[in-house]
Amino acid sequence: MNAKKTISVILSALLLLPSLALLGGCGGEQEIRLRIYNWEEYIDEGGEDSYAYDPIDNPDAPSMIDDFESWYEETYEKPIRVEYSTFGTNEDLYNQLKLGNSYDLVCPSEYMIMKLAAENMLQPLSEEFFDGSKEENYYINNVSPYIQGVFETGKITADGEEHRWSDYAAGYMWGTTGLIYNPETVSDEDLKQGWSIMLDEKYRKKVTTKDNVRDSYFVGLAINYYEDLMKLKQDHTEGILSDNDYNAAITEIMNRTDEKSVAEVQQILLDMKANIFGFETDTGKSDMVKGTISLNFAWSGDAVYAMDLAEEEGVYLNFHIPEEGANLFFDGWVMPKGANAQAAEAFINFMSMPENAVRNMDYIGYSSVIAGEEILSYIEEIYSAEENDETAVPYDLSYFFGEEVIILAPEEQLDRQLYGQYPPESVMLRCAVMDYYGEADARINELWTKVKGEMLDAWAIVVICVAVVLIALFVIYVKLGSKIDFFRLKPKKGYVRIDQQPLR
Amino acid sequence: MKMPRFSRKTLCIPYAVFLLFFVIVPMLVIVFYAFTDTANGFSFSNFINFFSDPTKLSTIVYSFVIALITTAVCLLLAYPVAYILSRSKMKKKNVILMLFVTPMWINFVLRINAIRELLKWIGLLGEANYFNTIFGMVYDFLPFMILPLYTTMLKIDNNLYEASADLGGNAFITFTRITLPLSMPGIMSGITMVFLPSMTNYVVSDMLGNSKVTIIGKFIETYFGTDWHMGSMIALILLVVVFVSTLLSGGFKSEDNVRGANI
Repeated sequence: MNAKKTISVILSALLLLPSLALLGGCGGEQEIRLRIYNWEEYIDEGGEDSYAYDPIDNPDAPSMIDDFESWYEETYEKPIRVEYSTFGTNEDLYNQLKLGNSYDLVCPSEYMIMKLAAENMLQPLSEEFFDGSKEENYYINNVSPYIQGVFETGKITADGEEHRWSDYAAGYMWGTTGLIYNPETVSDEDLKQGWSIMLDEKYRKKVTTKDNVRDSYFVGLAINYYEDLMKLKQDHTEGILSDNDYNAAITEIMNRTDEKSVAEVQQILLDMKANIFGFETDTGKSDMVKGTISLNFAWSGDAVYAMDLAEEEGVYLNFHIPEEGANLFFDGWVMPKGANAQAAEAFINFMSMPENAVRNMDYIGYSSVIAGEEILSYIEEIYSAEENDETAVPYDLSYFFGEEVIILAPEEQLDRQLYGQYPPESVMLRCAVMDYYGEADARINELWTKVKGEMLDAWAIVVICVAVVLIALFVIYVKLGSKIDFFRLKPKKGYVRIDQQPLR
Repeated sequence: MKMPRFSRKTLCIPYAVFLLFFVIVPMLVIVFYAFTDTANGFSFSNFINFFSDPTKLSTIVYSFVIALITTAVCLLLAYPVAYILSRSKMKKKNVILMLFVTPMWINFVLRINAIRELLKWIGLLGEANYFNTIFGMVYDFLPFMILPLYTTMLKIDNNLYEASADLGGNAFITFTRITLPLSMPGIMSGITMVFLPSMTNYVVSDMLGNSKVTIIGKFIETYFGTDWHMGSMIALILLVVVFVSTLLSGGFKSEDNVRGANI
């Protein structure tokens, strides 16, 4: 009886818990819930680091989430509650979705969007969302025409049909890959060899690359097909290839996943492993600033951050997007199936108001996909040359803004933050989007295991295994033999050990 | 109203529930994932894949050797310290002991970063990746070796040493017949506490070996990003390796249960 009672007490306590939780969370019953899953530190979280922060006018700058909630209530006259959570890698996000967690809006990178779409996990954005005639559709009214072009040409397969990216995804931040380098230790001449500089003996133990398979594979491909890529560049310069054909040709090469390419890239990456200082996930920036390394594979947003950081220490670093090509990536908003589309799209639109895009951009360091007056004045505020600077050079941003925009920037910005944040159009032409590997996924993951893992000769494995087994057998022998007796000496002749003497 | 009566056994219920949900069920889930494939069918493919892939085998052998060296170095460093501290009549020996343990109270990431800077300053970072990894692990796990050794040695009866001296035993005999056998439980406990984390603590190998040293724990982490089934299989194999090592070292015997860190 006792046990039963105890169990019933515990069970009733458990039953009470949810109702208590309900009591605590009681509010308006009409409250809408919006579950957002975003990258860590990928939104203006308010406080002193916020662009909107002002010690006098706005001393406690609210986070973008709080601002959205009040904006939504004002605009739609309905209360809303945002449940905001964050992830560290695209794979974490994927696993969470697979485990059955549901969200209304998530922000994966381009290849993960393709993967989610291919597995029929996404629902398309509504047609209304792209209706530019409505003023509250801030996304379509403000997105950069360049980005929108990329989104409209890109193809994804979803629910068994081919779609455009823009049917499913709205952009958030974008960037390219490249190399941060220290101009005092790396010559322009050496940079001309492109990504192969990572194999250059001269920079042995002075280069780092990212500790993830996609970035490393991309670099490996670029090194492997260096000559083909440079031939394309030559043809493009001579006018044989049009801009579009040039980009399409590069994109084709940078998406090769056939067995031959994978095998060749594996060898390149193994050679690279022997030459580089190491693989890193976040130590690269500080190692660059401290001068431990001279070159660092970087995403443009990180590069901007590293250059800012270095300048505070009095070190000037540059950013370079290799001649043969680089990776164009973006993180975009997509809705998993079953999402509350109205609220989710309202959130995208809110984030796409240029003044909000500026706040996020300033907080995160990556470039927003949004163009517009506020963005332009933000760029000018940061990068414009002093009025009496005679070395200032014109920097053309027309491709991004879709209208003629040329700002006067200090000369060094051609290799620094401005170049990282908004590479010139000619550079963007050689930046390719790398698709989800699809069926080649397993093959490329195996490549990474082989590159990262240790390698022993077969005989060494056998010797070590035999040694381990021998040790194990020895231990068993000792245990079964006499336990702690092993450490005792045998009794001398004529003596008997006390514990072996018969009891009297 | 009659109050429900609680017997002493009922006090175990919270822990039993905890054990069930956070130890047993997850273990079963790992076994389930390890022996299924992406199509969710029962399959040995992960098992076969692991044992037919020289890289994975080499990596687990490497991890084993790295963990072995780490444990051996820890033991060699910790044993004399524990012995001297436990035998000394110093009044302040608790202070010295605390000095060995205080690093444990400082955040792990901070310590590893500090060692990284130190190694960079010496010039070893990037040059001797395996050495750095083992160095970092020894630094990190040393307290786990010292504490059990110290507590077991403290319990050795001083009369035994006096008896040994009375009967004419020299230092060597005294050590092999008294100190070593009686500190065995501490040694075993220390080994168990150092060996397992040395096989899996990939933060050390990533930070100090510049991610060029890969131990088996890193593989588990990588595979859990892309392929849970393979990740689970590696975790399971590691579990078996550790289980067998513990079994052999007598870690499950309860009679010489004098171990444990008391700080």
